[in-house]
Amino acid sequence: MLQVKDSMSREIVTLSPDETAATALAVCRERRIRYLPVLKGGRLVGIVSDRDLRSSTPALGDPSRTAALQEVLVQDVMAPEVVTVLSDDPIELAANTMRERRIGCLPVLEGDELVGILTASDVMDALVYLVGAHEPGSRMEIAVPDRPGSLAGAAGVFGMCGINIVSAAMGATREPGEEGAPRERIVVFRVDTIDTTEVVGYLEEAGYSVMWPPRP
Amino acid sequence: MAAQALSGRAAIVHDLALEGYGFGGDHPFNPLRVRLTLELCEALGLLEDFPFVSPEPATDEELRTVHSLTYVRMVQKAGRNAAALSDLLQYGIGTSDNPVFPDMHEACARVVGGVLGACRLVTRGEMEHAMCISGGLHHALRSAASGFCVYNDAGVAIARLKEEYPGIRIAYVDTDAHHGDGVQWMFYSDPDVLTVSMHESGRYLFPGTGGVEERGRNDGLGYSVNVPLEPFTDDGSWISCFEAVVPEVLRAFDPDLILSQNGCDGHVLDPLTHLSATIRFYEHVPNRMHDLAHELCGGRWVATGGGGYDIWRVVPRAWAALWAAVSHQELPEKIPEDWLSKWGARSPVKLPATVRDDPEGYPQGPRATTIADRNERTVEELLGRVLPGTG
Repeated sequence: MLQVKDSMSREIVTLSPDETAATALAVCRERRIRYLPVLKGGRLVGIVSDRDLRSSTPALGDPSRTAALQEVLVQDVMAPEVVTVLSDDPIELAANTMRERRIGCLPVLEGDELVGILTASDVMDALVYLVGAHEPGSRMEIAVPDRPGSLAGAAGVFGMCGINIVSAAMGATREPGEEGAPRERIVVFRVDTIDTTEVVGYLEEAGYSVMWPPRP
Repeated sequence: MAAQALSGRAAIVHDLALEGYGFGGDHPFNPLRVRLTLELCEALGLLEDFPFVSPEPATDEELRTVHSLTYVRMVQKAGRNAAALSDLLQYGIGTSDNPVFPDMHEACARVVGGVLGACRLVTRGEMEHAMCISGGLHHALRSAASGFCVYNDAGVAIARLKEEYPGIRIAYVDTDAHHGDGVQWMFYSDPDVLTVSMHESGRYLFPGTGGVEERGRNDGLGYSVNVPLEPFTDDGSWISCFEAVVPEVLRAFDPDLILSQNGCDGHVLDPLTHLSATIRFYEHVPNRMHDLAHELCGGRWVATGGGGYDIWRVVPRAWAALWAAVSHQELPEKIPEDWLSKWGARSPVKLPATVRDDPEGYPQGPRATTIADRNERTVEELLGRVLPGTG
């Protein structure tokens, strides 16, 4: 779960280095995609985006554009050094790579073979599934002390109330609300219930501070 | 349908058996709220000349228009105590929201039959308007109970009418504080069914869906309309969003029948949500639905209940206001003494003495303007992206 292969798209549209910019742009338009890996003899040798293609050819309306589009080749425009991920890499590693390198797309390899492509919107989808936002539930934010057993304790209160937890995400530590209190972490639970009133009461009784929902 | 001497132009579809839909114990979905509502209507003099119509339960075949056979069988088994909890949980049954109760299939099928019956009365022209206050179980999904809802009454009624009246166009308008997700998903690709839901934003609140970007799919694109409202939205902002969206999309859609879900859990006193409406909103909405039904579809309007968990102070008054609009009667000002004394003794909270809320008792919150601005932006973002010809 949460590996690149779970979120990547397996349908890959590729180009070869000697195709023209006109062909490449037509492929982008027809397939509604923005990144095209470039293969030579089955090996990944580059990647090209619709933006690279546009910025290296004359603008729309320029009389020299049509000719240029036929002359410019994919190999002239593509980025030859491609940042890739492996299909069994964790999704968070891929997300961090995209963030640090400021790139919107990663070709996915198994050994030398290109097996898929991972875009920023695939990572978004993974986030939605990770937090369970695709199934019915209520979102609760709870501050727990930063020490062993806090998450288990809070989760146990849901179990006691017969409420199923759809997802749980715990964030970085933060300074406590009150001076001298232990540092806290915020936990966001998505829970499968329409009625959180009872569990909020029990959580507060157990010493957890419920940040959302507010008390009626 | 055992139609007694039907007079007037509006009917209440109800009998005592419908009050069997409830989960018992301390569960917040308590059918006592229906009893409180109907007795308040009677005490207010709103039931004279309006006989009750008893509905038939929905048949398995009718339920299967929107529910899977395996799910219906599972609900039947659950109600006979003949299924393992581990199996039931796969279908959303046996959770703290939707616990098993005896004969739950029969009780839920009756509610569906009530709303279906109300729709048939109105579609056949025997009544102009009808109300089935037990209906409004809008979270029920094809194969799962969800959010106190086992079978989806509006879903079955709409699907069945589409079979009985090919080509019929039905507008479903949902002002429950929670997103009307079940009904929306059942008709998400259907351009003959417009679903409009106004609700507290799903950012935090159950079920979490109902964003502006949920607009329908394929041929149904533009026929699902969602207005997610900020927590603590008050009457003024909610009414102005309602006025900006509902009349326009209904006019563009041009329905043959309007079905409204009138959950009243957006009231400021409701324990399960964080909206800040008062009875003013729950009087405004049905009055406007009434006008729009006459303007657009010969008055054909069916109203259901829905959520509402302050069963003592809010539900009876909000739904008395609903019935007053459905039956085209003036809503009286004072709550009658006999109702107050009968129920005041049992109520854990002090009961209000007037049908409407006193605005002085509900001052604007400190962030009211910010909230209203954000809601206005939501509406702007929405209009023009739904139904062709709007915005």
